Amino acid sequence: MDVLRLQNLQKSFGSVCALKNASLTLREGEVVALLGDNGAGKSTLIKAISGVFPVDRGDIFVRGEKVSIRSTRDAMDLGIETIHQDTSLAPDLSIARNLFLGREPVNFGWLGVFAPLDLAKLRKAASEVLKRVGISKKLDADALVSTLSGGERQSIAISRAMQFAAKVIILDEPTNNLGVEETHGVLRFVKEVRDAGHSVLLITHNIHHVFQVADRIIVMRRGEIVAEQIVADTDLLTVESIITGADMSALLKEARAK
Amino acid sequence: MPVGKRRSSLIRSPQFSSLVILIVLLAVFAIVDRNFLSPLNISNMMAFLPELGIIALGMTLLLTAGEFDLSVGAVFGLAPVVVMLLVQNGGWDIGIALLAGLVLCIAIGAINGLIVTKIGISSFLVTLSMLLVVRGAALYITQGFPLKSWDQPGFFVTLLAGSLNIGSFRFYTSLWWFIGLSLFAIYILRYAKLGNWISAIGSNRNAAVARGVPADTVKIWLFIATSVLAGLAGMISAFRISAASPVAGTGYELEVIAMVVVGGTALTGGRGTILGTIVGALMLRAIRNGIVLIGVPGLAYNIFVGLIILAMLILHALLQKNAARS
Repeated sequence: MDVLRLQNLQKSFGSVCALKNASLTLREGEVVALLGDNGAGKSTLIKAISGVFPVDRGDIFVRGEKVSIRSTRDAMDLGIETIHQDTSLAPDLSIARNLFLGREPVNFGWLGVFAPLDLAKLRKAASEVLKRVGISKKLDADALVSTLSGGERQSIAISRAMQFAAKVIILDEPTNNLGVEETHGVLRFVKEVRDAGHSVLLITHNIHHVFQVADRIIVMRRGEIVAEQIVADTDLLTVESIITGADMSALLKEARAK
Repeated sequence: MPVGKRRSSLIRSPQFSSLVILIVLLAVFAIVDRNFLSPLNISNMMAFLPELGIIALGMTLLLTAGEFDLSVGAVFGLAPVVVMLLVQNGGWDIGIALLAGLVLCIAIGAINGLIVTKIGISSFLVTLSMLLVVRGAALYITQGFPLKSWDQPGFFVTLLAGSLNIGSFRFYTSLWWFIGLSLFAIYILRYAKLGNWISAIGSNRNAAVARGVPADTVKIWLFIATSVLAGLAGMISAFRISAASPVAGTGYELEVIAMVVVGGTALTGGRGTILGTIVGALMLRAIRNGIVLIGVPGLAYNIFVGLIILAMLILHALLQKNAARS
């Protein structure tokens, strides 16, 4: 089942064509890695899917249905949750308040933005999320996010996406600025997310991480999707050569001969 | 959270340390000059307190969202001047003139907010320019002369500047405005959905926007609320002293920001406390009043005000560092 299908997406900024004819599909319960050098169009692609800006041309299908995504709210309502590298959480808010930011449980909902938060429900739901995702260190739902480590913050952001039963979770450089152990924690968590039935689109620079968690690899170069590889059928050097676009066949032959 | 932990985090909170300093200051003033706690002096302090305090409430919410407003002192001066001109020279009904003043404040706040959010100029520069425009307008339309304010008793005067004697204390209605608005602001910031949004916007705007929080709209409304509160405070003041001066409120913007940050709200956004602001407002009021009573020469007292504010900020910074380490 295709959860997300992009067809011929195009986007230009002035005279710069950031995205030309990008098409890809994401199936249920798989991790797809999106690779490419700086300026390859990865960020533009995920920003278009997460509703930061609209595309110029092309169609987006969610579970086979054509949709239009004009705002981050639209994307979230369609079950697409994006976790940006450092910008997903508000450090001065508690874990519980962050988990429900923008979707706060309230009493007297008719009061609109003046409605009181349902603090008991907020705290209870937050502890359940923390328990379910089994973050190794016991975290207090009332703790401020500013007191957490980078890995803990990523895990909180990812579990927030799971909490809202997102069909598609987009992870933008989730292991940036993390230590070795924390990186492994986050990657393990990505696998758990997939096993729970969510589809993950993983954007990263680190090819080693891709080989640890991804099922498929999609490579972008200059705004285009240039290759698609099944992780089980490929290797690091092949993928690297596709990314850079350099002719590494000689190098490859040499490597394989060894 | 266990009770002990909650208690220790309360003690380490910035509003708590401000409260302790406030109590110490009050005690010192009371010991040095017995008149400090006399009904007359307390009544005096309580008459002045709400005028800056009401503006400080709006400023706290705005600072928590990561913006600030330097035009509040000028709006404090302009609103009553415009209302009084409409009544005295235009022959308008006082109620309609007040409504026009309200619309003017909403417009000033909306312009501030729209320029800051939609064009993306820092609120420091936008509201500094607005300060000049608004103050200049007040001076120009009055030709620099203060206006006699509305001195006929009536519904609006009672509503904004009525007074009530309880024993030998004299309380103005403005105090009830301040208390009511404070409770509302506490509710907004701590318990309402809107407060969650305000803190999130100031803490990490991109994260809030990514969660579908309408950051620009919230900020624009906060600019409007701050302007309206500044205009309300200006009206209260003008009614109380029966005069509307085009230079009223000069320098109030910095005094209000000082109240807010002394109370523990972060200038950089994300962390705001209304209780702290109330403590800050009380503290600056008590300092201004107390150091005159204890005999500091009038011309020297800004030195003391500045030093005490600086000491408070250093204390907050040290506490913050400590908390981060533990």
